[in-house]
Amino acid sequence: MFAALSPQFRSLGNAQNIMDAAAVLAVVTCGITFVLMMGSIDLSSAGVMGASALTVSLLVANNRNDNDLGLLGIAVAVLLGCAFGCLSGLALVLLKVPSFMATLGVSAIGLGVATLMFAGVQPNITDAMLKGWAIDRFLGLSYLTWIAVACILVGWLIQRYTRLGRYAYAIGGAEEVLALSGVKVKPYKVAVFALAGAFYGLGGVMVTSQLGAGLVQAGNGYDFSAITAAVVGGTLLTGGRGGVLHSAVGVLLVMVLTNGLVQVGVSPYWQGGVEGLIVVAAVAAAVIPQRRRNQVVK
Amino acid sequence: MRITPRPAVALLSLTLAAAALAGCSEEAAGDKTATDAGGCKPADVKLVGQVRNESNPYEASWLAGGDAFAKSVGLTQERLTYGGDSTKQQEQISQILAKGDKCLVLNVLPNGDSDTAPIVKGADKAGAYLVTQWNKPADLKPADYKTWVSHITYNGVESGQQIGDALATAIGGSGGIIALQGVLDTAAAKDRFAGLQASLKKNPGVTLLDQQAANFSRAEALTVTKTLLTKHGDKVKAIWAANDDMALGALEALQQAGLSGKVAVAGIDAVPDAVKAVNDGTMTATVSSDGTWQGGIGLAIGFCVATGKLKVADIAAANRAFFAKQFLVTKANAADFSQPKTTASDFECGNVFNRVAGPLT
Repeated sequence: MFAALSPQFRSLGNAQNIMDAAAVLAVVTCGITFVLMMGSIDLSSAGVMGASALTVSLLVANNRNDNDLGLLGIAVAVLLGCAFGCLSGLALVLLKVPSFMATLGVSAIGLGVATLMFAGVQPNITDAMLKGWAIDRFLGLSYLTWIAVACILVGWLIQRYTRLGRYAYAIGGAEEVLALSGVKVKPYKVAVFALAGAFYGLGGVMVTSQLGAGLVQAGNGYDFSAITAAVVGGTLLTGGRGGVLHSAVGVLLVMVLTNGLVQVGVSPYWQGGVEGLIVVAAVAAAVIPQRRRNQVVK
Repeated sequence: MRITPRPAVALLSLTLAAAALAGCSEEAAGDKTATDAGGCKPADVKLVGQVRNESNPYEASWLAGGDAFAKSVGLTQERLTYGGDSTKQQEQISQILAKGDKCLVLNVLPNGDSDTAPIVKGADKAGAYLVTQWNKPADLKPADYKTWVSHITYNGVESGQQIGDALATAIGGSGGIIALQGVLDTAAAKDRFAGLQASLKKNPGVTLLDQQAANFSRAEALTVTKTLLTKHGDKVKAIWAANDDMALGALEALQQAGLSGKVAVAGIDAVPDAVKAVNDGTMTATVSSDGTWQGGIGLAIGFCVATGKLKVADIAAANRAFFAKQFLVTKANAADFSQPKTTASDFECGNVFNRVAGPLT
């Protein structure tokens, strides 16, 4: 539809632009998909991404201190994300805090940690490699986009071929059945949250690469967009259905939508509303077959 | 009916009585300070500066300006920060007023328009000398109060126009520009964009290709700019942003599109990174409200009134609520803005209203 309305939308340049713009959201959505498949929800991405963005920008070459750890700094930031995910998982499993509350808390902790590290002066990165990720291109797409493609591939392999991925499905489908058949569910739940956290951590690193600076608000809005993308792609909030590839399609749909509205020239005063409307319509369309089978939609 | 609740009732009524008493005595104290207005010894004055947080460079420079003024009169400034939380701001104000200092001077950045009224009422009752900045509802006027000395704000229409004109000059008076708007329902975003439209009228060769909201955010500005660059391609000669964060996001987008230096970019606020970019020549212009001056001037006005050097009744109506002068930062003068500094003479009682650019209407 957008292609008919705007000639620029059809251009190759815009296709590249959509792919590049979708990179970060794709990685974050990849993480959140595993949590959604399990029937839990994860609202921690904003905080985790903020914390990892600040961490990485202070560890690679920057204008605040003399660190220049390069790849190691990036690995530390991803591990930090992983640790935050682990924390949400443990709160869910050991303290029995509902997942949306636990992850909301972890998000606040992440933002707090990020604000402490921010300390009044924005760290601008000077690391040539990390900055290059957003600028240099390979086969027409930025390195960040290729990283996102790699993440989707890894996510799909985990989902398809590892016990973790298979159990995540099963927990979402019927947790009791799995527990009764002798599987220890709890460690897998924690592992899924940790995996999701690692993806958010990488997302934070990618935002830092794009903006050239570590921002506390690096992950602002990604929690909502990622859940939207996953659901639009066909992953059910009740768990047990969907997957990484579904979500990747959802991410592209959402990006095409935001990009298309700008390209066609919808007034910014209208865009927010139009976007929300289309998302609700898309989700409703996906849920109708469910309702026929008398499944309750929470 | 049982007897057990009675002690609780007694306790409650006692508390109520105590609260009522406290309320009365507080009022009495308020009356007394009001009659004493203007007779403080300089050494008795207590200076308080309150902003949202110290983690943003602008507000940090505000507090630094307050410290500089306080030092110049041999006092210290009490620094308060409320982390952008309206409730916390009100609590801090009522705590500081409740101490009952007679010569209290407050220089306050209210969190939002609606937060100004309770602060003004509290200060008025306690007889504290208050200067507010940026936010106030239009119908609340310092002229109606005895100790709310002044309200200072900045004309967004003017700053939006200033950078619009600077961009027009930078691209030689003709070509297409794109505009990045702030949060659409804020006064700052509306006024600044109105300023751009005024500038476009003045420069008929410049056309507005597109305008999108990027909500004052660096990340959103990056995505929106990339999309607009693919949409309009080479026609984009300049990018107008309603604040510096968005301008910096647009700079990143230009770099990623391989257009660094080929498109002029301007923002507003003069955050350190933007001033540096202007100094390096990657950004065309930004506008500074001079945060250090704002931090000092509010205390200076209050101090002058508290010590009797200025009388509230003598202050011209136009100086009770006014737009202050703001400065266009370009490559020519960026070095002057890279380090926050204050000029002592700005804060002398005869000069405190020197930067009035026009009455707030």
